[in-house]
Amino acid sequence: MKFLFDFMDKNIAPLFEKGGKFERLYPLFEAGDTFTRTPADVTPSAPHVRDSIDQKRLMVFVVYALLPCLFFGIWNAGHLFNINNNVEGATFLTAMLRGAAMVLPIVMVSYIVGGVWEVLFAIVRRHEINEGFLVTGMLFPLVLPPTLPLWQVAVGISFGIIIGKEIFGGVGFNILNPALTGRAFLFFAYPAQISGDKIWIGSAKTALDNSFLGKVMENVDGVTAATPLAVAAAAEKGTDAIAALGDAGFTLWNMTAGTISGCIGSTSAIAIVLGMVFLLITGIASWRVMLSGLIGVVAIGGLFNILPAEQFSAFSQLPFYYHLVMGGFLFGIVFMATDPVSCAATNTGKWIYGFLIGGLTVLIRVANPAYPEGAMLAILFMNVMAPLIDHFVVQAHIKKRTAYARALNNA
Amino acid sequence: MAEFKIKKGFDIKVLGKPAPHIEDYTDAQLFAVYPSEFEGLKPRLKIAAGDTVKRGEVLFENKKNEKMLFRSPCCGTIKAVNLGTRRAPMEILIERAEQEDRVTFETYTRDTVGKLSREQVVDHLLNTGMWPLIKQRPFSKIADPESTPKAIFINAANSAPFQADFSLVLKGDEEAFQTGINALSNLTEGKVYLCKSAGSEIPDFGNAESHTFSGKYPSGNTSVHINRISPILPHDTVYTLAAQDVILIGKLLVTGELPRTKVVALAGPAVKEEFRKYYRVPLGANLQPLFEKAIDSRIEVRIINGNILWGDSISANSGVRYYGSEFFVLEEDRSRHLMGWTMPGLLQYSSHRVNLSTLLCKAKSWKLGTSLNGSHRAMVVTGWMDRHQPLNIMTDYLIRAALAHDTDEMVQLGILETDPEDFALAAFVDPHKTDVCGIIKTGLQEIEEEGI
Repeated sequence: MKFLFDFMDKNIAPLFEKGGKFERLYPLFEAGDTFTRTPADVTPSAPHVRDSIDQKRLMVFVVYALLPCLFFGIWNAGHLFNINNNVEGATFLTAMLRGAAMVLPIVMVSYIVGGVWEVLFAIVRRHEINEGFLVTGMLFPLVLPPTLPLWQVAVGISFGIIIGKEIFGGVGFNILNPALTGRAFLFFAYPAQISGDKIWIGSAKTALDNSFLGKVMENVDGVTAATPLAVAAAAEKGTDAIAALGDAGFTLWNMTAGTISGCIGSTSAIAIVLGMVFLLITGIASWRVMLSGLIGVVAIGGLFNILPAEQFSAFSQLPFYYHLVMGGFLFGIVFMATDPVSCAATNTGKWIYGFLIGGLTVLIRVANPAYPEGAMLAILFMNVMAPLIDHFVVQAHIKKRTAYARALNNA
Repeated sequence: MAEFKIKKGFDIKVLGKPAPHIEDYTDAQLFAVYPSEFEGLKPRLKIAAGDTVKRGEVLFENKKNEKMLFRSPCCGTIKAVNLGTRRAPMEILIERAEQEDRVTFETYTRDTVGKLSREQVVDHLLNTGMWPLIKQRPFSKIADPESTPKAIFINAANSAPFQADFSLVLKGDEEAFQTGINALSNLTEGKVYLCKSAGSEIPDFGNAESHTFSGKYPSGNTSVHINRISPILPHDTVYTLAAQDVILIGKLLVTGELPRTKVVALAGPAVKEEFRKYYRVPLGANLQPLFEKAIDSRIEVRIINGNILWGDSISANSGVRYYGSEFFVLEEDRSRHLMGWTMPGLLQYSSHRVNLSTLLCKAKSWKLGTSLNGSHRAMVVTGWMDRHQPLNIMTDYLIRAALAHDTDEMVQLGILETDPEDFALAAFVDPHKTDVCGIIKTGLQEIEEEGI
């Protein structure tokens, strides 16, 4: 090992450093080099010691937090395929394998295409490759249906990275969450595959049909049942939305466990909560955003619950806690809304930002049945609003600190 | 007398605390004065290599204020004047002579000092080369003799590892300290504040209002004291001093000659344990013999004139500076670790819970090095850097305003109250390895040039 590293330092590194043959590709070398070993840099000036945390560790730990969602999503995709196609002899293992065959290509396309853009921009701009794309590359596939054509994955991640991030100057300068930007693009550009009201289950045509994964008895082309959000939104005024959901096969339990169709990573509230606990223990994501987001859903959802039923759709009467486990809200508030770049930066701002995401999610779902998935739009909207919120918080702070100084000086 | 509890802050747990006793270190032959230490100063040399100088003779003056003189700490021959970029003098080396010739000044007592006018005190301190010990806020530079400060802050607190404990330094020099305070109190219409750390055994002094500060670092920083007692508004000026420098001023006034020694702490994990203590050293003395004994020669080290968070790194062949009461020695850590981004983090020191050590090794003191522990990335405004900031400022936004050269917003957000040292913790915790202190320093310079 040491021999290999010495060889790298002596023979490979000079090629990429200033004056070397591949000087322009330095960001690529730097990324690989610091990926294998921590950099040898020492502090250039005071403070002379630094915390042992860096961007790499932070971003990789967010990816770790996403793993429960990924693994559950893989199993769920295979499991639902097996049920819908009446696969004989299906086991947990075959469900995982079949799911992996559906999901992993999406993840790989997302990472490869996203990574190529990231590296390209880093080389052109001559700055380091930012580890932020590790998170974007994982978040994006997790909010896609497992049946999405791979070319759409490539188009979506490209749009997300270029329009959502790089045209602003890269990580740290972007206004919107890049993964969500990519998803919103697909949502509006190719509604047939990702509209949010079709059910997403792999048909035999789109997945492996190997005999060791079980025998496909029925070859279903694609199922066009509604998602829980669409069912609830379509429920007639005056009817019981819970009953409507039950008729469509959705219960509070299976929506919490996530054994329903939907986006790869966002169906299971349990898997998301596992990731959330990890993020909170390690202190990476803002608990303020998560908590205020939940409060927002409870407050606005609860408000709709007590409003007279005649005035609003049946969806408004759905108990507020259903909103937490339906659709992409929980995934969004834990992993997307807390993106440190696009989220509000001040503590007060985070409370307002999170609360409004929760509130707007319910509002969009209940009052605007055309777009049943309110979480994505709510987060993107609040991403845009976050700098404004912060602006007002900072202005209030300036007023307060001036008043404090004046008061102390006059005393 | 008030007690201030500072709630926010963070203590870096590092090995190498100095033992609380003082050893005399007197066998210095080589002395040095560092004009480069005075940032922004344009010196005009009054001597050349080969000249003989008396103790207390003028070495150079401030080109912009010719009354501001800088004098020789010893009697001897100028060995060399080392120049830096644009031929700016960086270092004046003086070889000590056997026989001492010295320049003397008027002597005072603690009571006669109190009867002096402001002009007399200012002129005396400028003339004797002691004025630059007084710094001012905003811009933390040598105090402008023309300005009228609304208050003077004497910092006798110690919260960073390992600032010299002033109660130890003070022993035996109480008279000089009181004389110094009396002289300083003539410089302001307002009050002189003496700020101490809670639990230190420093008595109260006349002509100064004592306050204690408890809490983690940076509860001992002057900016925190000013912020809690008398915050700086635009167009305000306050003077600030380190407590030991008040003793030096007092000694000058009492003895009528330049003070000879000060007490410095030698600390840090790279110092051999038996040498981690306080030394009474001649001002300006070259400390190479001491450093050679105290530091393991087999490792590459960084010697800091200051504490672990704030100070300049100096070469081992140099010595006591004009400013500073402590030296901190750290290992230059260029080691590389396999896949540091995913290791559990038990062996790395951190303030973040992303490393297991933060949860599991709370009591441990660490042998820290100078590793950057990462590489530079674009800054993200997250509020993280504000987490340990006790000053009533929004750290992240202030840094952003400084990066954007927005002087108005910097002033509104309170940059005038601060010194780059107040951002040392922000730089410490920042995962993007931003040069926070450098950004603030540039911001302050821009405001000074542009005017408030």
